[in-house]
Amino acid sequence: MISLPMIAHAKIYLSIEQAQKILLPNKQLNKMPIIISDDLQEKMRAASSIRYPFQGDRIWKSSDGGWFIVDEVVGKHEMITYAVGLSPSGHITGIEILEYVESYGYEVAEAQWRKQFVGKNINDPIKLNQDIQNIGGATLSCKHITDGVKRVSVLYELSLKHPQIQIKK
Amino acid sequence: MRRCQPLLGTFVEISIADQDADQAIQSAFDQIKKVEQLMSFHDAHSELSIINAQVHCKSIRVHPWTARILRIAQDLYTHSGGLFNCGIGHRLIAAGLLPKHIDFASHGIGGIEDLYFIDHDRISALRPLCLDLGGIAKGFAVDEAVKTLIKEGVSSGIVNAGGDLRVFGNKPQTIYIRNPQLPRHLIELGALSNGAIATSALYFAKRDQRYSHIINPLAIIDIDIHEQFSGSYSVLAKECVYADALTKVLALSKQGHHPCFARYGAQAIQIAL
Repeated sequence: MISLPMIAHAKIYLSIEQAQKILLPNKQLNKMPIIISDDLQEKMRAASSIRYPFQGDRIWKSSDGGWFIVDEVVGKHEMITYAVGLSPSGHITGIEILEYVESYGYEVAEAQWRKQFVGKNINDPIKLNQDIQNIGGATLSCKHITDGVKRVSVLYELSLKHPQIQIKK
Repeated sequence: MRRCQPLLGTFVEISIADQDADQAIQSAFDQIKKVEQLMSFHDAHSELSIINAQVHCKSIRVHPWTARILRIAQDLYTHSGGLFNCGIGHRLIAAGLLPKHIDFASHGIGGIEDLYFIDHDRISALRPLCLDLGGIAKGFAVDEAVKTLIKEGVSSGIVNAGGDLRVFGNKPQTIYIRNPQLPRHLIELGALSNGAIATSALYFAKRDQRYSHIINPLAIIDIDIHEQFSGSYSVLAKECVYADALTKVLALSKQGHHPCFARYGAQAIQIAL
């Protein structure tokens, strides 16, 4: 077998809808986009050391006051979309990885490279190998996700918890 | 159905053929979370951290899983001639790879051989210990997750904790490992059913300019503490806990036929550079 070099590969785990059912089961969810002020953006950055801005348009609220938030972390070597469920009191009910794209270090670091993915289906533009399922190998760190969850916690504390403050803005 | 959660400091993936087995997968993730809660070095309140802080002063009753993993660790220590030793936490702290919760004196710290069982779930130690289960707990967690999936009626699937994985059921799965020279390139190893494989390599440590996390417990001089190598060391075994632990024996001994592999029914795969 001639094996072509597998330059980048992607794994799609769950759709947003599937993740919603897992993290907030049997709950009615309403989309609730939030405009992230510069001040809040800065506080989220300081808490997580993630530099690129948080997008406030993938936030849902459940009928009982829980939250479902989708965010991305872009490392030098990977880009990961993940979802966080929060209980009405702000406790994390779970974290699910939605999509994992692994590639060349320096290319992923380029904003240009990232842009190619925004709003696109992974199947589209870049040749990614989706058939690779079981990869053994030295452990990858999930530190970026830990950082991402930190900024989601800040978002909850400073914005979602007291929505009236957001409206005043 | 395939799900992935950040656990044990890495990404844990569970893939099964059934589409409606959310509950089974959730239970499996919960078991892994439980292993993390008990055995995390990073968490200053985990059972492991309590052991490290107190075991030389008093006897400690531990969770059955902790008791089991410590017995496995001791058995591996004995049969690897000391090459596998969990008592290397202080080395990883010194290298900035683990957090420092307690002020350890840098001398006089014992190893897993200084730990003893008073009864089946009660332990004590003759010397202060700084145990790190990072070289074995992922495999242990994978095995517990697999047990749970089987108990929940799932007939086949894969649990992969950051590259340490186990295939259960009779459906063979193609396994890839990373080319240590170009870790984004994958090498197809073949198909695996009802078995586990784990790998130790330093390509991510080198990429991220970290110290080697492969500690030689037998090192006498400082320069030998952090094992350096450029290849990749994988071990196949029936259970992931042994595959995981034995990669360290392989990476340090570089002997594909080290007698301890036969004892655990394991097989070594070395990718040399």
